[in-house]
Amino acid sequence: MDPQPEPVSYICGDCGAENTLKQGDVIQCRECGYRILYKKRTRRIVQYEAR
Amino acid sequence: MPSEGPYVYAAPIYVDVEYSIGSQSHKSIEKKERVLIGRMPIMLRSRLCTLNGKDEAELAKLGECPLDPGGYFVVKGAEKVILIQEQLSKNRIIIDSDSKGRIMASVTSSTAETKTKTVIFMEKEKIYLQLNQLKKKVPIVVIMKAMGMESDQEIVQMIGRDPRYSSLFIPSLQECAMMKIFTQRQALEYLGEMVSMGKTSSDPSVKVEKACELLLNVFLANVPVKQGNFRPKCIYVAVMLRRMVDAVLNADTFDDKDYVGNKRLELSGQLISLLFEDLFKNMNNDILLAFDKSFDKRSRSNPPNFIKYIFPDTITKGLEKPISTGNWDLKRFKMHRKGVSQVLSRLSFIAALGYMTKVSPQFEKTRKVSGPRALQPSQWGMLCPCDTPEGEGCGLTKNLALMTHVTTDDEEGPLIYLCYTLGVEDLELLSAEELHSPNSYLVIFNGLILGKHRRPQYFSNAVRRLRRSGKIGEFVSVFVNEKQRCVYLASDGGRVCRPLVIADKGVSRIKDHHMKELQDGVRSFNDFLREGLLEYLDVNEENNALIALYEGEATEKTTHIEIEPFTILGVCAGLIPFPHHNQSPRNTYQCAMGKQAMGNIAYNQLCRMDTLLNLLVYPQRPLLTTKTIELIGFDKLGAGQNATVAVMSYSGYDIEDAIVMNKSSLDRGFGRCIVMKKYSVKQETYQNNTSDRIVRPQMEIVKGELRLDPKMQILDADGIASPGEIIRPHNIYVNRQSPKCTRGESSKLLDSDYRPSPATFHGIEGETTVIDRVALCTDIDNKLCIKFLVRHTRRPEVGDKFSSRHGQKGVCGTIVQQEDFPFSERGICPDLIMNPHGYPSRMTIGKMIELLGGKAGVSCGRFHYGSAFGEPSGHADRVEAISDTLVKHGFSYSGKDFIYSGITGCPLQAYIFMGPIYYQKLKHMVIDKMHARARGPKVMLTRQPTEGRSRDGGLRLGEMERDCLIAYGASMLLFERLMVSSDPYEAKVCKKCGLLGYYNHKLKTPYCTMCKNRDNISSMKLPYACKLLFQEMQSMNIVPRLQLTED
Repeated sequence: MDPQPEPVSYICGDCGAENTLKQGDVIQCRECGYRILYKKRTRRIVQYEAR
Repeated sequence: MPSEGPYVYAAPIYVDVEYSIGSQSHKSIEKKERVLIGRMPIMLRSRLCTLNGKDEAELAKLGECPLDPGGYFVVKGAEKVILIQEQLSKNRIIIDSDSKGRIMASVTSSTAETKTKTVIFMEKEKIYLQLNQLKKKVPIVVIMKAMGMESDQEIVQMIGRDPRYSSLFIPSLQECAMMKIFTQRQALEYLGEMVSMGKTSSDPSVKVEKACELLLNVFLANVPVKQGNFRPKCIYVAVMLRRMVDAVLNADTFDDKDYVGNKRLELSGQLISLLFEDLFKNMNNDILLAFDKSFDKRSRSNPPNFIKYIFPDTITKGLEKPISTGNWDLKRFKMHRKGVSQVLSRLSFIAALGYMTKVSPQFEKTRKVSGPRALQPSQWGMLCPCDTPEGEGCGLTKNLALMTHVTTDDEEGPLIYLCYTLGVEDLELLSAEELHSPNSYLVIFNGLILGKHRRPQYFSNAVRRLRRSGKIGEFVSVFVNEKQRCVYLASDGGRVCRPLVIADKGVSRIKDHHMKELQDGVRSFNDFLREGLLEYLDVNEENNALIALYEGEATEKTTHIEIEPFTILGVCAGLIPFPHHNQSPRNTYQCAMGKQAMGNIAYNQLCRMDTLLNLLVYPQRPLLTTKTIELIGFDKLGAGQNATVAVMSYSGYDIEDAIVMNKSSLDRGFGRCIVMKKYSVKQETYQNNTSDRIVRPQMEIVKGELRLDPKMQILDADGIASPGEIIRPHNIYVNRQSPKCTRGESSKLLDSDYRPSPATFHGIEGETTVIDRVALCTDIDNKLCIKFLVRHTRRPEVGDKFSSRHGQKGVCGTIVQQEDFPFSERGICPDLIMNPHGYPSRMTIGKMIELLGGKAGVSCGRFHYGSAFGEPSGHADRVEAISDTLVKHGFSYSGKDFIYSGITGCPLQAYIFMGPIYYQKLKHMVIDKMHARARGPKVMLTRQPTEGRSRDGGLRLGEMERDCLIAYGASMLLFERLMVSSDPYEAKVCKKCGLLGYYNHKLKTPYCTMCKNRDNISSMKLPYACKLLFQEMQSMNIVPRLQLTED
């Protein structure tokens, strides 16, 4: 993996703005102050079985 | 949106405080406006809720489901329902007989200050009073005299001068005379002797005082005493006595405790108001105490600040805690109830809706009597006759019917004033003789005797007219009881009532133009109510009404007409099509099963974070609907699919209600469901200010190659798994590390000071589960909390449970290729095959009509209706009409089809009854239940296998199974089951002392600690639990000795 990892961004549950968090940060949206953030969908390729 | 965070949905309570400072001479009044005293939880969709009155678009914008019924609270992130509590009505005379067969009249008085119970009973022809505050029973005549009724003649007059009544009362009078109590003073002194509360004193004046207090505050506390005038209480006692004597003369004047009119339903508002009253009074006391304390110390010149003694937290916490735990403990009201609030079950939309209508019983469920469990005729239209659980709560836990309304308290003062204006003669003005005069009726308002009226019919009609014109509350009820010669008025809360159409001489007040205006949306139900076309009747007033079921059946005497007969059922029973064609218990089973059906939960179901969410992939609305389904929105949030069902036998895998399923149907998505489960991971903080950390996974070197641990494959750069990743058992979804040292002083922690404490996924082996959503939030204690929603899509498999809407559940017995399935001439192939043996004993004719109606529905392209009792009013299609439709579309009138066998290709011998039936997939699935074990984990203490599926436990061979093996004589099997496969242990036993020894590894020999030698030790096998028992007994000074013999 690359030595300088790009920070992971999260999506605000209220306004939908993207936020980056560091270790020990308070979980809060920088735009609207909403306290629930969601993780973005994985960028890796995933293959699901269709049964 | 609830359950996303640890929040409480509450609103602040502000008060205006006013208090005076200073001495008498220079007083100054201080005012403080809008002082916060606490936060009150708000019921969702109530008037104070922000969602109240919002339309669908507004609700959608807020992310709320417009079909959600509301009626629950959100406390600490959980949805809580305060169940409706059933109780016996307060402040009413109940004539009953106790276990000894004594006739008794009891009143449970409940006022703002106290709650007492007064019991008057008849023993050996004499009548006594019983109170908790009295040492023993007191003759009722003594009580009457103590209240100032010194004349025996007047007492007899009050009960009734008729010789039948007076002769029954003479022994009681005689007893009082024998006790030599003639005056009020004597009676009070005697009564004071009997009072158990307070300190005893021989001083007669103290006794009299105590007696007076008892009569004033405890005895019939609901009857007010104004200026020391005990006459209303005397009359109240006289009425109680008269009704008791009535009961002696005529046994059917007993009151029925199970009669719905004698019951009150306590709603969440009343329960919370009790809580608030208690907390508010406590707060006032606390403020007073704290204020007094600080006032003594402080210098007088410094005016104290009153406001700072108000702590809003006490009320906030005091309201939150009972709602979240369900324990209502109020010392002030002698109330200790558990399980008042419950978590709202969101298994399905119907389950959530059904919870709101649930009425929890007043008795404990252990009572074996059948009376309270039986269906009461007075439940008609108020409580659903079908929806009750099976088993211990059967008949005790009830559900409201569709149109039931529970009243709230109405103001009493204006109503009492109104009664007097309408010609009620005041009680004060009546002589004892007039009390039971035959030409007039007693008027009783909320259990309080107001007076007499000479024309009860005129009076009741006048009150009803006022109610219909909206001058008094629409829930005030008037009831003329001819038997008791009383007019009962009620405006208290908790009565159940329902709306009915008013009819004048049998002609409905609702005319065609009214209905047209209702359809056009010009008028609403409330307009009808206001204009006096409809009115609410409670259970008692229904007895004065003659209610016609249909408009056509009304006669000259009819006073009311039912709105719709199907409204006697509740929401759960309303889903059943043609329930009136089914055997009654089948409908009850369906009511329980409808709540377990998988489907949609709400429009916002995918935005919610429920701990467990069962969804159907392709839910459908039923082909055969009912009016109730449309009213509650089940057609928008269905929980099932319309399956084409062939009623025939196929293979041997359909016995005992098992169903045969078509594999191609499953491929097309029939019965496919999504199970979402929530997993939470917390970032813990410790005493020494250290905390867990979540780090990105580190590469490791294996065989000279840099690689990532395969368990950590799904982790993102932040150490948390991302949505969309496939997660398998043993995968790590949060790479968490905890500090090794969590106590003592903290310094800068290095990487080596952490140990890994990852969150590992324990799912089902071999299944594909996907992370659906990942949410990060902070908990109440400011800790980081990561919530994962894991999605598992399941297709039906052998053993999954399905059910139609007629209480006909069954498991999937086998799945067959479509090639082998029977098919009709048109090429229609069923989705599932049901065994016809399910019909004869269950007698679910409704299911057959559903099949017919569904078949006609798909052929003509119209949804058919099957509302309960709906045929006469057109809310249910008749079988004849359905058959005609079928014939028109080329089917047999009977719904039977000409079928070819899928295996041989030959026509089947019989015509097959085939068509669509709405099938529900129930939440019980084999994948969650199947369990087997050969070897596995053991319990540390006993070394026996663990218990339960979740711990990969063993399957117990219990006592009864053991008994069978003993009886059969299978000793080796017994030995193998109970020891070899469980907890074998090699024990060293001393032959001499019979106690357990041990193997000394230093001496390399067994050794007896008791005998201090190694001479007589032999080794034997016994269960470890047995060795444990011996040692435990030894620790309690019991010596178990083993006697060994050679064999």
